[in-house]
Amino acid sequence: MLRRLPLLGLALCGIAHAIAQPRIDLAATPAWNGWTRPGRATEVDIRLTVDVATRATLDVVAGRQVVRADLDLEPGRVVRLHVPVGTAEGVAVRAGSLTGLPERRDVRIAQSESPLLGVGLVTDDPIHLEGFHTVALAADDLPRDASAYSSIDALILDAPTLGALDQQQLGALLVHAAECGRIVLLNADPRVRRVLDGTGGCGGRALMSAASLTDAKEMLESSLAARMVPAISLAGAGEFARPGHLIWNRVLVALAAYFAIAALAVMFFSSLPVLLLMPALAAVAILALVHAMQPTPQLVVWSEGESGAQVARYQAWQRFPGLVRGHTRVPVLPQLASARSCDPTQPMRFDFDAGRGRATFAEFDTRLFRQISLCYSGSFPVARAIAIEARPDDLLEVRNAGRTAWPKGVLLAGGLVHDLPALGPGDNTIIRTHTGKPLRDALVRTAMARTQADGAAALWELELGGVAAVPIESKGWLLVSIPHP
Amino acid sequence: MNEALPHRLAAMTGLALAAAIAVWWLGSSRLALDHGTDAGRSASDALNALLLVRGTALPILGVRVGALRGWRPGVTAALGLIAPSWPVVVLAWSASSTSLTQVALAELLLLAGSAALPLIGLGLRHSLRHAELAVVMGTAVGTALAALAWVTRGSWCMPLP
Repeated sequence: MLRRLPLLGLALCGIAHAIAQPRIDLAATPAWNGWTRPGRATEVDIRLTVDVATRATLDVVAGRQVVRADLDLEPGRVVRLHVPVGTAEGVAVRAGSLTGLPERRDVRIAQSESPLLGVGLVTDDPIHLEGFHTVALAADDLPRDASAYSSIDALILDAPTLGALDQQQLGALLVHAAECGRIVLLNADPRVRRVLDGTGGCGGRALMSAASLTDAKEMLESSLAARMVPAISLAGAGEFARPGHLIWNRVLVALAAYFAIAALAVMFFSSLPVLLLMPALAAVAILALVHAMQPTPQLVVWSEGESGAQVARYQAWQRFPGLVRGHTRVPVLPQLASARSCDPTQPMRFDFDAGRGRATFAEFDTRLFRQISLCYSGSFPVARAIAIEARPDDLLEVRNAGRTAWPKGVLLAGGLVHDLPALGPGDNTIIRTHTGKPLRDALVRTAMARTQADGAAALWELELGGVAAVPIESKGWLLVSIPHP
Repeated sequence: MNEALPHRLAAMTGLALAAAIAVWWLGSSRLALDHGTDAGRSASDALNALLLVRGTALPILGVRVGALRGWRPGVTAALGLIAPSWPVVVLAWSASSTSLTQVALAELLLLAGSAALPLIGLGLRHSLRHAELAVVMGTAVGTALAALAWVTRGSWCMPLP
């Protein structure tokens, strides 16, 4: 009997251990029914339940990027997260508590070479757009983060599907509309149409309303025939968003100083200790200098909209200059949406706040001269209405047709740059077209490239003071296109 | 001939090599920064170039000065050649993805070579008994070792990222 006691104790311990271990139920579903395009972002819908209250960690691994969330799970409560992920053919979702075994789900993401047409219809009416791959969608297949809309190229939604979208989905849809995403609303309620009126980017041309599926198809076909200015990329903004050269300059000066001192030392001293100690001390000093420098992140925001539109879309890039070999953790700017790594091949970890449904911190490896950038995109409300009238004698009358005043900016018209004074609501100014300057700095070149050849545009510097935790070195611009003067 | 001249010349050569590679590396890094490409690649290239250049110059200098003046002046000259590059090595390592162990091992290898190669020159001087012949032979052996180092560079140079 005594010999059996240890065995009994062991069995009891095992039972107690098994009882204490929480069992996590994990389900992961990709947005867009698992479809995306190569190089595009998407989203994974994750649901977790647990039988015992526990603290768990969720890891979502897509390519070289990881999104991590710490969760407090309670029995009977479903925790649902919508995690935006970068481009990857497969996403691994792992959830585990401190005591239990981790659960893992692998989500396959199909990458379509053809453009994708998302169709959210309650009926099973067939629709086919030439050259497109059609993906049938239910309301729940639509993402909550606007960046995931990059997976599809056109979208048709009927009124019941639109009505079934939750607040987050509607918000993401509106941002996508502001970013010139091609959307056709089928038999949309007039009230809904009124709400959406003015929220579509590219002059509202991308947000369409149709009475029938045939009309929707025709509208999409004619919309696809017209060119829409795509969102500006980091490469496109590269010229005016170039990184600062402060660190490079300091390294250059430090090395130049070292070589000068070393040359003098070699000329005047010939002892072995001097020859050895001087480079060794210089190496330590230069490394200490680099460590002592404070890296200054830079933020560049480029936004654009149409005159009279209610929203402007923006792209922002937060650049972190590298100083030393190491690991860094930086806060994600809370007021800018859809934070992601600008380089999908860059290993990066995001801390995801499940409560707020957004990334809060980013972690990555740094080294000297390495520039790591976080990309943001979204839209913000804007009220700039510009009326331009061509007058005789090469004059342009520019009037503030909106309800808010403008700050000072520049007007781009006829390939020239004109100073645009600050104007109150209803005020106007006269601009002589021949007095414009052919000023072609990187910023104006970019603005002109994004303006229609026969159109005009106004460019203002953005006030970024209101953006929380904005870096000191921040700059932003708003480009408002004016259809035809 | 001035006793300090060989290691002064070696140190100036080491300094010139380090400066030339530093200029190339900083120029490449600046271009990479301007074009938004990875500056780490040129840093790894600079590390490799520093190792390769010093690794091939060291046998010629070490064996020759060892045969001409003995072990201690040979070591001094060899160290004068390799040491001036250390600040550039440290910065290039900081900008590259090469591991610290690899870089430290490479520098230790060069230091060991600085101590060992003058011994070959000294051995030649003792075995040949004619100083001039020993210097010629020392230069030839050093050149052969440098050629060997160049030919086998694929096996000891740091792998590129």
